[in-house]
Amino acid sequence: MKKILFITLSICALFTACKIDEPDKDLKRVVFDPGNLKFISTSLNTTKETSSALYGNQEAWESLTNENNQPKPNSKFKLVTWKYHENPQYIGGTITGELLSVETLKTDKNGKISYQIQNTSKTENTHPTQEERIQYITSYKPVVRP
Amino acid sequence: MDSVNKKRRVKPIALAFLLIVGLFTALQFFNQPLKGNPVTKKIEAPREVLAILENSCFNCHSNQSNLSWYDKIAPISWAVNKDVKRAREILNFSEWNYSAGEHQGKMYAILNMMQSGKMPLHEYTLLHPSAKITTQDIETIRKYTLSLSSIAPPKNELKDIHQNIEISENNKSSKFPVSPNGVQYTDDYKNWKVISMSTLFDNSIRVIYGNDIAVKAIETENFHPWPNGSIVVKSVWKQEKLADGEVRAGEFVNAQFMVKDSKKYTDTEGWGFAKFSGNDLHPTGKTASFAKESCIACHRQLAEKTGYLFDVPMKLNTERLIKNLQK
Repeated sequence: MKKILFITLSICALFTACKIDEPDKDLKRVVFDPGNLKFISTSLNTTKETSSALYGNQEAWESLTNENNQPKPNSKFKLVTWKYHENPQYIGGTITGELLSVETLKTDKNGKISYQIQNTSKTENTHPTQEERIQYITSYKPVVRP
Repeated sequence: MDSVNKKRRVKPIALAFLLIVGLFTALQFFNQPLKGNPVTKKIEAPREVLAILENSCFNCHSNQSNLSWYDKIAPISWAVNKDVKRAREILNFSEWNYSAGEHQGKMYAILNMMQSGKMPLHEYTLLHPSAKITTQDIETIRKYTLSLSSIAPPKNELKDIHQNIEISENNKSSKFPVSPNGVQYTDDYKNWKVISMSTLFDNSIRVIYGNDIAVKAIETENFHPWPNGSIVVKSVWKQEKLADGEVRAGEFVNAQFMVKDSKKYTDTEGWGFAKFSGNDLHPTGKTASFAKESCIACHRQLAEKTGYLFDVPMKLNTERLIKNLQK
């Protein structure tokens, strides 16, 4: 009886030891969905090794084509920032990796601006002021695509 | 009695041997030697770099082939000649009529091929063990290639790694240009999702968009093979540095298309490649098969894991995190 119990317990112990270690089990290849916003512009910060994509609605796009870059009423911007890496398939190239933050800038029908940032834990805490970020986001110009 | 039996046994063996020798001799009449093209402009590089290239690459990728005697015997020679002909079309160290930027692009391609172990070909080094490259050789090539990045290309010379293709002047009349292989430019991609962003050694900044079929294939990891109808477009700009060091997209360079149609593009792993450059979006390539001699060579060898596309998003994010941030 003791023997049987010992064997049974040993087998159970073996199963508990056989934990399949899949570090990337929950990791996915992800494409950011900007909803009804369209891609407007891009940037690269070589110090932080980040790359950003700016999305916006028609009003946002029009705002950035103006000389003064003042956001028009009903504008909506999203600045999506990713960490970039060496391209694993090509030496000499980089490619975006982890998503770091999404910043949303909106104006209501009276042109009143609101700003919001969503971070992942990996993001550095540099705390720039809202005004700085608003100014930064509205400093973009739409990319040239003939 | 024994000797008679032996004689009878020997005869068929001798006959078979004679037959094989005869067959081999006959085959040699159908053995066309490799065409000996002249060396118009040999690649210029430091001595140690040239030594590696000459030892491991020149036999196939130059007009200075120094093939072994067994490479010249039919039927081996048929396969060798075919490989050499194709290799010369893709990269020829004896016809190195390239600008500094193009030379840099070619060196990066060579480095990537060596680093990934794709070149020299395994079947080649089996028969020619002296052509094997060592990690030291790769390091030499890497150091030289990276040193080329410090030499800034002239302003109007920014090109990408698909440089040596002649530009066709046709299709200017249609509203949207068409590549010689039938891939048509469309500006629908401006409404597609951005799948990734990238940069290259040539100081360019790139944004890659995918149509719905391509995006779904990425999200479900269903790209072996990519479903027909997938289209991926890459916009390329020159990097423009701001005063604080941030880089923005400057002058438009080109839009590169990859269109999946496994029945139409059988020579290029089912992908139709196209490149539309400059503000007039002039298509690249003189013949319908231009991508067979250029684009696919790198994509096939280096990006096989992701269905021959270089800029598929990396597997680094959790779905939950993205959903929270997308809210």
